[in-house]
Amino acid sequence: MIDKTSTVQDAIKNNVNAGDNIFIGGFGHLIPFYLSHELIRQKILDLTICRSGADILFDQLIASEIVKKVIFGYVGNPTVGLSHSFSRAYKKKSIEIEEWTNQSIIMRLHAARMGVSFIPSKILQIGDKPSNISHLKQVTCPYTDHKFSAIPALKPDIALIHAQCADKYGNIQMWGIDGDTVEGALASDKIIVSVEKIISNSKIKEAPEKTVIPSHRVSNIIELPWGAYPSYVSGFYSRDDDHYIEYDTTSRDEDKLSSYLKNWVHDARNIQEYKKLIGSTKIKELEEGLCGVKNED
Amino acid sequence: MKIDYTEYSPNQRIAIIAASELVGYKSCFVGIGIPSDAACLAKLSVEPELNLIYESGAIGALPLSKSYSTGSPSIAHGADMITDSLSVFSDLQAGRIDVGLLSAAQIDKFGNLNSTVIGDYDEPKIRMVGSGGAHDIACLIPNLIVLMPHDPRRFVDTVDFATSPGSGRDIKKIRDQLNLPEGPSILITDKAKFIMSDEGWLLHSILDSFTFAQATEGLPWSLKPPISGPIETDPAIISALAQINY
Repeated sequence: MIDKTSTVQDAIKNNVNAGDNIFIGGFGHLIPFYLSHELIRQKILDLTICRSGADILFDQLIASEIVKKVIFGYVGNPTVGLSHSFSRAYKKKSIEIEEWTNQSIIMRLHAARMGVSFIPSKILQIGDKPSNISHLKQVTCPYTDHKFSAIPALKPDIALIHAQCADKYGNIQMWGIDGDTVEGALASDKIIVSVEKIISNSKIKEAPEKTVIPSHRVSNIIELPWGAYPSYVSGFYSRDDDHYIEYDTTSRDEDKLSSYLKNWVHDARNIQEYKKLIGSTKIKELEEGLCGVKNED
Repeated sequence: MKIDYTEYSPNQRIAIIAASELVGYKSCFVGIGIPSDAACLAKLSVEPELNLIYESGAIGALPLSKSYSTGSPSIAHGADMITDSLSVFSDLQAGRIDVGLLSAAQIDKFGNLNSTVIGDYDEPKIRMVGSGGAHDIACLIPNLIVLMPHDPRRFVDTVDFATSPGSGRDIKKIRDQLNLPEGPSILITDKAKFIMSDEGWLLHSILDSFTFAQATEGLPWSLKPPISGPIETDPAIISALAQINY
């Protein structure tokens, strides 16, 4: 078996090319912040980024001007408000978009995962359809004559995801909220995974039902504890809601946002620096919070 | 006991009225915010059998602290089951989830909901978050209840963008042809309940403590007096409010 452990720098440099279509994992839970920030640090340009419900990580990637196109069902800062960088870029027309819905994005990924070019669905046949998905076609069922929209497959070049544990071979164990993370990863040609903890293969074999992605699909594994902050990791730390709330104020102002990105992305050259920025008080608080290591039940 | 509903915040009043509407249902597709509060309130008071289902894949959840995302720790913590989003959207499309609650930035006379843009789609005044799962729920859920704070700016004749399709005579005809359920049938504001008709929303009833003028103030639709008496709610709902009062 091949040891697939890597550094975040090498994993991104060796697997991601300018112009790639990247699926980014995490549905409120397990958002691969630190791993995806490496795209910004390496300034990999003209990227397409996709997922169903996207939060402030998408905002940061768009603000960093490395994104050419966004394929999404939702882009915002959940409950807190809008994705201000997305709104600015949309109005300036500095990004292209494909605007779907959460279900249709997930079905698009599922089609790619299943190796078919489309999946029929009842959605997206009424209501206003964005002009950027006007290529969506309708099909008639050969058995019932019912009409369906033909939701086209979405096959990303690469998926960046975060999970709780993996062994060095790339068997990924994940629990808690998945959303479309596993679906999106398995739909993609390549998968890079950051984890809280690398564990032994014998530990993996103790609970193989927790393995959601098998080693042969994974390109690289990186141990990045706290790499999903300010989102959360069940069994490790809770979500920093305050960070999301403050990000709303920060991201309204482009100057403030540049200093935020300098601080949290460009200057955070390794995961220890990132942890330092979070700070020991906050770390303790989030470990004790809901779903944290000290409050799992 | 006479309840003075003016003592409660607008969002609490929406949750109070909506909770009464959930009696008899077994499963509810819920979004974050007022919909989640309303479903929790029903579960804690008048409909303990109700399973709350979130698009993140959490089923049988009961968030008792504030949740910002459908994937938040408070949604995951204490859920009966966590599956993936594909499974819950599949259940939704198969008609296996009874009722859904939605809110939006704008609503029109036929219950079309807008969470995409204010203004023109390509040159918007405000670019919002987009559908998320809202379009999907509005297309597929057998019973759809819309929850909106009584803010006249959010009530329009025609939405700027129909993210989530409505109902009424014309839309229902198309829904029938596509074998889709009938769409939004109830609208709840912080002062009243409306029901969908072929011609659009009808004022059904007004929350006790409010007048017809208050319940319709600033709404652009020509509304007749309510067809039913004042809304009174089960005191159990009011007692349970304290548990979701975060």
